[in-house]
Amino acid sequence: MTSTAERQMELTLPMVADIEIAAARAAGNLARELGMSSEKIDEMTHAIIEACINAREHSGCEDNRIYLRFVGTSQGDGSRIDVWITDHGRGFDPDEARSRRPAVGATHKRGRGLQLIEAHMDEVSISTSSGGGTTIHMVKYEKKNHD
Amino acid sequence: MTEELRVAVDRKANGAVLYTKGYINNVGGEEIANRAYELMDDNVRTLLLNLRDTKIVNSIGISILIEIIEKMIDKGGSIAFCCLTPVIHKTFQIMGLANYAKIFDSEDTALKELGL
Repeated sequence: MTSTAERQMELTLPMVADIEIAAARAAGNLARELGMSSEKIDEMTHAIIEACINAREHSGCEDNRIYLRFVGTSQGDGSRIDVWITDHGRGFDPDEARSRRPAVGATHKRGRGLQLIEAHMDEVSISTSSGGGTTIHMVKYEKKNHD
Repeated sequence: MTEELRVAVDRKANGAVLYTKGYINNVGGEEIANRAYELMDDNVRTLLLNLRDTKIVNSIGISILIEIIEKMIDKGGSIAFCCLTPVIHKTFQIMGLANYAKIFDSEDTALKELGL
């Protein structure tokens, strides 16, 4: 597999209402430049929105910032975008977050962002520790069979 | 940065259609809920949400949609959705909405099936 082009973007965004839309639009523009399909872009932007909301709503960070890095790579068999979303907050337990089921009839209806992120992206890894912040690294491929 | 949601209502003989335009987040979800609850208070028991002009939803907005569905079920009514983008359709399935609300590809099909 030969990488033919790489585009990078870094953003630091304040944790204010609807800032996740700015992050999603930036990533969407990068993906369009790489020729990614609209359906893949929509899935990626929804995942980015959920990750930013999680950071804003739950991180409890003092600097009130979300740090984003996007790397888009065109390859011989398609393209991929790597997204890193970081906060400097309190960290969280991914297993506990995955266990939430906010369905009809449930007492708690919120907190399914992580499941959505994992469903919409091809790869997701989480680095988090108590008081040490959180980084979510996620990857979207234009082709599912990328190897 | 704000992404204000707009909601339009079309009353039908046997229910109503809500048309959304914009981002369904916490604020947008509450706007839909306010309109839906007004209709429920007015004895509307069949509600179709047409999301043709909504391209983004988030999990907070969906949690509010689930609350609306719950209230309608408690009143013996039903809620359905139509004209979803593929990613919103997938998101609704992941979040379990598809288990409690019918989803239609087109408004015409929905109106016919729901008897609106």
